[in-house]
Amino acid sequence: MAEDLVLDTAIRDWVLIPLSVVMVLIGVLRYFVSKLMRTSQLPDAKIVKEGQVVIRARNLRAAANFIPVKSFRARKVYFSNEDIQLENCDPQAITVDIENGLLYVPKGQAQNPQAQMFSDPNMAMDMMKKNLSMIIPQTLTFAWVNFFFSGFVAAKIPFPLTQRFRSMLQNGIDLSTVDVSYVSSRSWYFLNLFGLRGLFSLILGEENATDDTQRMMQMSGFGFDPSKSLSAEKDSLDIVQHEWALPKFEQRAESVLRKFIS
Amino acid sequence: MVGAAEEAQLNRLENQVDNGGGGAWEYLCLVRKLKVRRSEKVLKHGLSILNNPNKRSKLGGDEWTLHEQVAIAAIDCQCLDVAKGCITALQAKFPESKRIGRLEGMLLEAKGLWGEAEKAYSRLLEEDSLDQVIHKRRVAMAKAQGNISGAIEWLNKYLEIFMSDHDAWRELAEIYVSLQMYKQAVFCYEELILSQPMVPLYHLAYADVLYTLGGLENLQAAKKYYASTIDLTGGKNTRALFGVCLCTVAIGQLSKGRSKEDKESSDLQSLAAMALEKTYKQKAPSKLPLLTANLRNLKLLS
Repeated sequence: MAEDLVLDTAIRDWVLIPLSVVMVLIGVLRYFVSKLMRTSQLPDAKIVKEGQVVIRARNLRAAANFIPVKSFRARKVYFSNEDIQLENCDPQAITVDIENGLLYVPKGQAQNPQAQMFSDPNMAMDMMKKNLSMIIPQTLTFAWVNFFFSGFVAAKIPFPLTQRFRSMLQNGIDLSTVDVSYVSSRSWYFLNLFGLRGLFSLILGEENATDDTQRMMQMSGFGFDPSKSLSAEKDSLDIVQHEWALPKFEQRAESVLRKFIS
Repeated sequence: MVGAAEEAQLNRLENQVDNGGGGAWEYLCLVRKLKVRRSEKVLKHGLSILNNPNKRSKLGGDEWTLHEQVAIAAIDCQCLDVAKGCITALQAKFPESKRIGRLEGMLLEAKGLWGEAEKAYSRLLEEDSLDQVIHKRRVAMAKAQGNISGAIEWLNKYLEIFMSDHDAWRELAEIYVSLQMYKQAVFCYEELILSQPMVPLYHLAYADVLYTLGGLENLQAAKKYYASTIDLTGGKNTRALFGVCLCTVAIGQLSKGRSKEDKESSDLQSLAAMALEKTYKQKAPSKLPLLTANLRNLKLLS
């Protein structure tokens, strides 16, 4: 069938290799541009504090059995109190002087991230910068590849593939008779775009900024809401059963000492 | 905290460097990694690298890290000229850097110019109000001036935001203990136990404070925490062993008046006394008579 499809060496010299080189260079360039544009964003005090509260509450939940019941109750109230005033005040709680527990999130205050984004110009700016360094070069290179190299076969992979790979490898060629192991130039572009990550991490160090897939994950997980984790933590703290572990330790200590003496 | 293996390695390297065996840079890296305070050695060996252009150029970008390390060590040793030199070199390389600003503040502190240091720190905090190191420096400064209540205030402010920083909790606990504010210290130690439940030192310190507070309930709790320390250390902690003995005696004295005979049927105290005897026999035989006499007084040893 298409066994005798012979590729010109000029295609290798003028399409295949230049395309790969250009992709690598653009990747490197993008890395440096995004490095230049990156601003060290100062974290918001409230967000930092919320994160710390969550960690502390998690510690309390995990190690609750290591402190006496009284102390645990005082802390639980301190964390998840809603209306009741602190009765079992410990010195720390008095100085903090709060009515609502640390994990309490007032209703309605849980703003959705979308609104937060628009209210905070910094965040929008950040998004734009990310887009600048990601989408614009990609569109440009895609347009460039499309314009100059579209519609012909650029390479042949040395093993046969099934028909299903046609859409992956022969993007831009609408011929069903061509063997699937031939790669069109546009597909070569896509293969480079997603396949060069390993090379970049080799050239630019482990945490390079060109990690597209990771960034896409970030985009989808963008709506991280700290108030949600706060209330989740509060719920799980509410159901913790306190059982002081220390009495057990006395017996364990006894057996340890018996072993030690003998 | 430094593990035993790491400390052994550090000491070995230090010995090697002291005797001219080379490896100064590795030693300095290890010191930095373990965050230990061996300022004199760091100053000596760091300077020997910095003053040797050949060795210095070999470090490349790490040269500046070394400058910083030596500057801090020099401040610690009151070699203010050296520190000044290092900081000026760093300033020339990184103007506008906050990290250098911190160093300058520390230099001012070392000179005893508290007011100016305070000003420098507040300027830095204006730029970034969440700089943990500067907050901690402020606490240290208040402490150095003997202004303990100020230190407590700063620490509390710091902990309001960074409440999962257990080192700060420990510092606060120790300050409270030094001021005999045991109730507050109890809270801090509970916090420490919560964040690292398997560290016997916190259990021990908590038990100490509870024992000092006194009262039947606290004493019983203290005994339990001494017991957990024994469990966690495998009976090797002498203080915990003594603690169990003393707690038992104190509990006995307190509950003697009451008819309620809730004598816990445990022979933990006698076991602890025997363990103490064994330890003393092995480690300090000359003190053994003293120990047995004391334990007999406490009626823990027949």
